[in-house]
Amino acid sequence: MSRRSRAAEPDPYSFGSRPYDLVKEFTIALVAVLALSIALAAVFSSPDKRPVTIATWAKADSADFTATALAELDGTSGTAQYGPPYNNASEGQKLGPVGLANLMGVTRPIDTAQDFVIRPLRSAAQTAIVSSAVARYTAASGAQQNTWTGNYSNALDKANGDPTKIAPGDYGPVPTMLTALLAQARAGSLDGQLLTESGVFYQTDYTLPLLFLADGSYLANLAGQDHLAGTQWGMMNETGNYPGQAWLWLYTFWYQISPYNNSTNGDALVWGTMAVLSLVFVFLPFIPGLRSIPRYIPVYRLIWREHYRDLRARGGT
Amino acid sequence: MSAVTQGALAAAVDLNGPGHYLNWGVIQISAANLVIIGVMIVVFVLALLLPFPKGRGRR
Repeated sequence: MSRRSRAAEPDPYSFGSRPYDLVKEFTIALVAVLALSIALAAVFSSPDKRPVTIATWAKADSADFTATALAELDGTSGTAQYGPPYNNASEGQKLGPVGLANLMGVTRPIDTAQDFVIRPLRSAAQTAIVSSAVARYTAASGAQQNTWTGNYSNALDKANGDPTKIAPGDYGPVPTMLTALLAQARAGSLDGQLLTESGVFYQTDYTLPLLFLADGSYLANLAGQDHLAGTQWGMMNETGNYPGQAWLWLYTFWYQISPYNNSTNGDALVWGTMAVLSLVFVFLPFIPGLRSIPRYIPVYRLIWREHYRDLRARGGT
Repeated sequence: MSAVTQGALAAAVDLNGPGHYLNWGVIQISAANLVIIGVMIVVFVLALLLPFPKGRGRR
């Protein structure tokens, strides 16, 4: 192994120096930011939107809740058809030929009929009519269940989503089950039941109630009113007139343009694009042309203008 | 919480009303985000242009 001789380095003590108190600067910055935060919080406070729960949804839009619960029961909801990580109903998000969601597999299995409808009904104290309705439904064949839910779905459509205006028909125990679930939801108990289905006492996993809410149109409508939907640059917005996450502008930008906004793999495409751009950023010092941007736009000369002025005065460049 | 306490703790400027948004083609941005971005640009330009404070002991 050969070692190339290195050029003699200048003595660091030969340069000029200036005293610099890092602790002082840190303390000043901390106090200034703290004072600014307290002052801004006092003047503007913070967003004060009431939380959206299953109970508020069921009270505000019982027709949407019933239609969504029916979709969970017959497996046609967004969650039921999503694919990994919840089920195998579809192949999930793909990036070109690579099935990203499939690679990870079903890591959070969800059976929408069981998790959103049947188990909550069973876990609460019910009348004999409701209990026998659940028993009748679960004992029936899949074909029979589909007939009941299909008939009820068609009837709901004809009644404009209003369960009270449904014409008599062959719906089996489905109306009884959904009416009981709606009553549980309106009472507020369904929120708690969906949280405790995992059996953990201290629960912070809101996956089930959030997915149930997201399968309906109530939450999406509220989000749209507050400009929080994906098609409204929602990722960088906040409710009301509060500033949001402006730094997510590039991530949410892709969702507004083709092909991202009309692809079934939009999330994977946006993720892939941002991954490529992030790699470009990380490897910027090695990319010809891009690494020369400071030479073309010499902002650093503006920052260190005093130094370059001195240099010019001494005959340097 | 009493109404008096709530009144005392209320924000001087209430931003919880309907949001204001600006649309320009595919671009849609809230007035609040635009203000914040503007302030960030102003702070950046000031950081570039304001001279460094000179310490007394500078050599």
